[in-house]
Amino acid sequence: MIVTITINGKKESLQIEPGDMLVDTLRNAGHVEVKKGCDTGNCGVCTVLLDGKPIRSCSFLAVRAEGHEITTIQGVAEEARRFADFLNREGADQCGFCAPGFALTVIAMKRELKNPTEEEIRHYLAGNLCRCTGYESQHRAIRNYLEADHA
Amino acid sequence: MEIKEYVRPSSLEEAYQLMRTRHATPLGGCVWLRMNAKPVALGVDLASLDLDYIRDTGDMIEIGAMTTYRSLETSNLLAKQYGKLFPEALSHIVGVQLRATISVGGTVAGRYGFSDLNTTLSALGAKVVLYPGTITDLATFIAEGAESPFLVEKILLPKGVRGAYQQIRITRNDFPILNVAVAWTGSAWRVAVGSRPAATRLCHAAMQMLGSDPCPSDQTIEAASMQAAEETSVGSDIRASHDYRKAVLPVLIRRALLEVRG
Repeated sequence: MIVTITINGKKESLQIEPGDMLVDTLRNAGHVEVKKGCDTGNCGVCTVLLDGKPIRSCSFLAVRAEGHEITTIQGVAEEARRFADFLNREGADQCGFCAPGFALTVIAMKRELKNPTEEEIRHYLAGNLCRCTGYESQHRAIRNYLEADHA
Repeated sequence: MEIKEYVRPSSLEEAYQLMRTRHATPLGGCVWLRMNAKPVALGVDLASLDLDYIRDTGDMIEIGAMTTYRSLETSNLLAKQYGKLFPEALSHIVGVQLRATISVGGTVAGRYGFSDLNTTLSALGAKVVLYPGTITDLATFIAEGAESPFLVEKILLPKGVRGAYQQIRITRNDFPILNVAVAWTGSAWRVAVGSRPAATRLCHAAMQMLGSDPCPSDQTIEAASMQAAEETSVGSDIRASHDYRKAVLPVLIRRALLEVRG
């Protein structure tokens, strides 16, 4: 079957099987910036935005993306680069595998929550696992990134 | 996940007839269904049936079957009615991304043992509406199931109920070792225990012990908590032993009762 999905602002018609998960559909279409991690919905690596809200593409049927707008990290490249500067300053990135899903979730949080508390930040990011950083440096980077907008 | 044939009906009747005549599998959030290696011969996608809603009908709250956990967690309407109950019961489940996909109907229909939502809904005295119009007490449905095929349409919640939720987990995003929800309905107490590790059950003797007093004494709460642990069948699994669950259960119930009583 064919589905038409708007990916990073561009309409794409893609051949899929009805049981295909969105992560595989996106990667098969060349969007390899969407990473495939645990494939069980636990790690958050495969996060993309569906109409601006974060979802796990490994647990979302591709057929349900028909007519919707999907944003990968490439779709918010400029904002992601800005956030990456804060990560780098705090040494909050190591292997980088979780970074696309992590950065997308941070950007979605910034759009959804106004002036989030430390607890709200940790809560929102709880589903993005990182095996390198221990999270503290990431949280410093997020706090600095959010505060920069208010400076 | 393998779906051999896929249909997206535009009405509940069409979906139900496909289930009745062709043994179709309803597709809710699919988060748990997709973990099953068994292929789906005919998948009926419920995504276009306008079942994603939380609304106040005057005397009750209706929650559509395709409403996501994230919607429950962030609903102002539910917050106004039940305070922090839904965020406290659901917000520790994996992450915001997955909770934006998990559906209420899928959880209820699956009668999953690990469910935090089914425990919470059971304590609140929810009813489940099965298309084409059967209304059943949700706790009874969880315990006994329904004649197949059935299609969960929506959940009905009574208003004016105060509830509290307690749970214990090994790690934040893991399945619960135990979860507990209690509620004061305005005329009676309800006590539900889930993740035993089996599915949610009400603690009828403990509920009777608490009676119709909105402010039971500390002694009554202690006795009801012990009674709930006594009457609830629990088991052992990879997360905890039978004995551990038995020891923890009255503590969780006591905390929840004290929270509601104030």
